[in-house]
Amino acid sequence: MLEARNLQSGYGEMAVLKDLSFTVEDEIFAVLGSNGAGKTTLLKTLARLLPMQSGDLSLRGEDITSEPAHHMPAHGVAYVPQEANVFPDLSVMENLSIGGRTGHRPKAEKLEEVFALFPRLKERLGQAAGSLSGGEGQMLAVGRALMQDPSILLLDEPSAGLSPIFVEALFSSIADTRRERGVTIVLAEQNAVKTLEIADRVMVLSLGEMHLLRDTASLSMEEITEAYHI
Amino acid sequence: MDYLIFSFSLMLIYIGLAQLLHIQFGLAGIPNFGVVGFWGLGLYGTGVLYVNYDVPLVPAIAIAALIAAGAAYVLARLILQKSGQAILAATLAFATIVALLVISEKQLTGGVIGLGTIGYPFGDFSERNVVYGGILIAVVAALIWVSARLRDSRLGRVLIAIRDNEELAASLGKDTAATKRMIFVVTCGLMGVLGGLSAPLHQFLVPYHLAPSLTFAVWIALVLGGKGHNFGAIIGVFLTFGLFDILIETYAPVPTEQAILLPNFKLFCYGLLLVGIIMFRPAGLLGEDGPHTRSGRDTPRPAPEPAPKES
Repeated sequence: MLEARNLQSGYGEMAVLKDLSFTVEDEIFAVLGSNGAGKTTLLKTLARLLPMQSGDLSLRGEDITSEPAHHMPAHGVAYVPQEANVFPDLSVMENLSIGGRTGHRPKAEKLEEVFALFPRLKERLGQAAGSLSGGEGQMLAVGRALMQDPSILLLDEPSAGLSPIFVEALFSSIADTRRERGVTIVLAEQNAVKTLEIADRVMVLSLGEMHLLRDTASLSMEEITEAYHI
Repeated sequence: MDYLIFSFSLMLIYIGLAQLLHIQFGLAGIPNFGVVGFWGLGLYGTGVLYVNYDVPLVPAIAIAALIAAGAAYVLARLILQKSGQAILAATLAFATIVALLVISEKQLTGGVIGLGTIGYPFGDFSERNVVYGGILIAVVAALIWVSARLRDSRLGRVLIAIRDNEELAASLGKDTAATKRMIFVVTCGLMGVLGGLSAPLHQFLVPYHLAPSLTFAVWIALVLGGKGHNFGAIIGVFLTFGLFDILIETYAPVPTEQAILLPNFKLFCYGLLLVGIIMFRPAGLLGEDGPHTRSGRDTPRPAPEPAPKES
């Protein structure tokens, strides 16, 4: 579905990701790694928010290496950044609406699905997104991405800074989204334990290089820990 | 009476410019420090066409506004995707270039000697000010209406999204560069229209009219009233231009020997107001124009239960 070949990307002249090649199929594809491993850089590159220094990127066989970021929703790609992932001066409803222009289904239908997944958002529709708690903000960011009717959802550390209750609810929603809507999910995370519960495959990054790519079924926590510290 | 109408007409121009700056900076986050440059292109463009080429006033204003919009397009292509400081410096430099061109291109503009006389389009001498004032009121009222409606429109929400987080807006399918360019070109073109409409008010154009003080006055008014609220811009102009240039400078019983100090006193007060606002009410007197619910698009604001805090 989504294929990266010899992907090199970074900021200015500095390469953060080095020669990454992988394919994301119809699955939850997790990207694990410690701080500075290159997870955010990878997701930004896949969302075409960062230009690639070298390599190729294709989606369903179509080359998207030079595609601008604002064309990606039309390809079915939605991106949820780790931080600053809502528009604070817009209301919850406006945040959801601004992401709902793509796809063919009626907005009301998509909204109901988002509210079914995140009931709390329905209670706060008129509220400025900047006044939401961290967990609610994260729900709004994921909800807005789902309003795009994506076929691929790029989630950058959705559990960062959240309480355990919110993390539990969020990972459950991510699993539901995959199971019920068939959305392919690329999930960058530091929470390896929770990630292993829902992911189909795991890639471990360290200093921008891939150190492990395996099915979660055949993977132990020890192997992940070892890959983290290479 | 004539002077009062003239002063109110100028105040209307300032209100119009502040509305456009509210759209540029308050909504779209574009820090245009070259307001006087675009306004000046409209002013002098109209003057040059009217005086040197006998173009009637209305077509002259339209052509001058197109010139301002064209300059804005070129500038937008060059700078709008740069940082805020770069945009600020480049627009300030642009306004300086316009002012220097007016001085150096003497054959067209009259240089430091000036350019005139530009007449009023309607009415004889006794009623022209009133008729023209009515036209200005209509134009500025239209700008205020558009500016007020913009916040609740789809375009307005996209502009706020771009201002708040351009990268996130792009990831949602918004062509942020094209949207910013479009809004910058249109609003700068309208600044050119206001410049053209200012030409008959000044009648005789001199390079002094293009001093950066106009840009700063509009900015101070916007910051004072609240950059995120279109009515803030109006209040800001009343508190600056209206209070000082009309009420105090014209009507305050200041002895002649002290009257010469009034312009400096005005700048001192502007500075004092600005410092006070930035210290005690950084979002301006009216603050930020938050999410609206009156349009019916949003459900009424609920009484939310206390949100749990994350660690």
